Amino acid sequence: MAVFRLAALAYVGYLTVANADLYQRPAVAWAVLALMAGWTGFTWWAYAAPGRRTWRVLVPDLGVTAVIELSTVWVIGVEALTQGIPTMAVAWMAGPVLAWSIAGGRRLGVAAALFMGAVEIVVRGAAQQTATTGTILMLLAAVSTGHVARLAGDTERLTQAAIEREAAARERERLARGIHDSVLQVLAMVARRGARLDGEAGELARLAGEQEAALRALIGSSTPAGGPAADDTVDLSALINGLAGRAVSVATPAEPTLLPAAAAHEVARAVRAALDNVARHGGLTAKAWVLVEDEPGAVTVTVRDDGVGIPPGRLTEAAAGGRLGVAQSIQGRIADLGGVVSLRSEPGEGTEIELRVPRRAR
Amino acid sequence: MSPTYAAAVTEETNNDQSIRVMVVDDHPMWRHGVARDLAEAGFAVVATTGEGRQAVRLAPAARPDVVVLDLQLPDISGVEVIGGLIAALPDLKVMMLSASGEQQDVLDAMKAGATGYLLKSASPDEFVAAVRAAATGAPVFTPGLAGLVLGEYRRLAAEPTDDLAPKLTDRETEVLRFVAKGLSYKQIAERLNLSHRTVQNHVQNTLNKLQLHNRVQLTRYAIERGLDA
Repeated sequence: MAVFRLAALAYVGYLTVANADLYQRPAVAWAVLALMAGWTGFTWWAYAAPGRRTWRVLVPDLGVTAVIELSTVWVIGVEALTQGIPTMAVAWMAGPVLAWSIAGGRRLGVAAALFMGAVEIVVRGAAQQTATTGTILMLLAAVSTGHVARLAGDTERLTQAAIEREAAARERERLARGIHDSVLQVLAMVARRGARLDGEAGELARLAGEQEAALRALIGSSTPAGGPAADDTVDLSALINGLAGRAVSVATPAEPTLLPAAAAHEVARAVRAALDNVARHGGLTAKAWVLVEDEPGAVTVTVRDDGVGIPPGRLTEAAAGGRLGVAQSIQGRIADLGGVVSLRSEPGEGTEIELRVPRRAR
Repeated sequence: MSPTYAAAVTEETNNDQSIRVMVVDDHPMWRHGVARDLAEAGFAVVATTGEGRQAVRLAPAARPDVVVLDLQLPDISGVEVIGGLIAALPDLKVMMLSASGEQQDVLDAMKAGATGYLLKSASPDEFVAAVRAAATGAPVFTPGLAGLVLGEYRRLAAEPTDDLAPKLTDRETEVLRFVAKGLSYKQIAERLNLSHRTVQNHVQNTLNKLQLHNRVQLTRYAIERGLDA
């Protein structure tokens, strides 16, 4: 922008030097040229910082330029104009138009171009000329500059967002490493040392152990495997690993178990429902194990617990009484995915729920 | 509460004093804590170190029966430490210990020759029992490890180019699935009407086949690259 104004100012200077003897008032022309140089310097400073690119600069910029252009009639004179001498501002006139389109986009740029064009027509009109070429050039410049400015702005925002995301991911990784090396190790040690103690100390150790498991699941889920893959699939194993805790052990393959995102979340919700059920009905000391198996045609998730189990006949009884809430919600979710649920339970032996979801042919 | 790993072999009534253990962990608190637990339980702690390279250097002189190895060391990878240790002492048993289950690292270390794996959240009693079991050569599996091994066999089966890929028998698959679902060897033996020893052998076989395949792969790779000349 500033470069354009400077170049345009140099052109105006050259024209003034070349044509000064034909001007009606050459002395005033030099003064106007000085004013233009001053204004160019001021706008250079004013537009340099984004914070100063406001109406307080943009409106006077347009006004000052318009006045300079209008002064043509008086400074150069109608006679010289009819002989083909360019106006006072010439190309310099486009400066504020470009500034408006950069600051306000295409529409404001066009508005400024139309205003400047009208001013030029007034000036030319005094000399009985029609001058639309300059106006059309300014309009084109306003539209394309506004468009490019918007593109540049969008690109800059996107780049900035990407950089921020990457920095956040890197920071998370760094935190996870740090937590792994320090806090996790200490918490695990406190849990281990205190496990033999009774009373309050034993309780503190148990809490430390819980926090260790929770923290481990948290930083585990921040690994890239936990995020969505390139296409619309999600690693089910990562979702299930997030459910691990003090009383829940999770076994999965090392490779990601990729399922369509909706299916993966649905299976994970079914597993969570099964685990909630263990916590509610399995007894205080019940533990649960989740196994994820990735077979060629299907994904199988098994949830086993060592709780009190379900007495024979109890399930049919509950179903008859319409009290099969959890089993039904699990059944429903898996059936919607075209899968099957099988349940095996014996009193004192805990319960085992197997969810088998078919993999669609790829 | 049922144990989350394979129980110690009960018929072994050897003198713990004869079991020599080296502890490798870069966290001083853990290194000392583990060494103290082992010493209290009657093991001979012959060396402790926080670095993988030093562990490999110390091993021939310290002659441990079992190395308790933290999977994340500052200098070299778990696979490299295990390779170096077993090259120096072929009969050595390596028991891995880690704070969080870095699944691929755990699997790679098992394939490289480790005998067992335990999470740091295991209780001291579970830990001591596991080291004792590892010393006899019994495979110490967590449910998580069983899940990884099952997954690895499935991955190998799905790879069409690998004609030497090991396969699990139906019985081995059954046993591994039980381990992954948290059953102890004793519970599995009861359910399948097998002896405790047989269950343990099945688990051991699944590991042996993977480790053998791993060595074959490495040899094949070396021959392809002409490194055997």
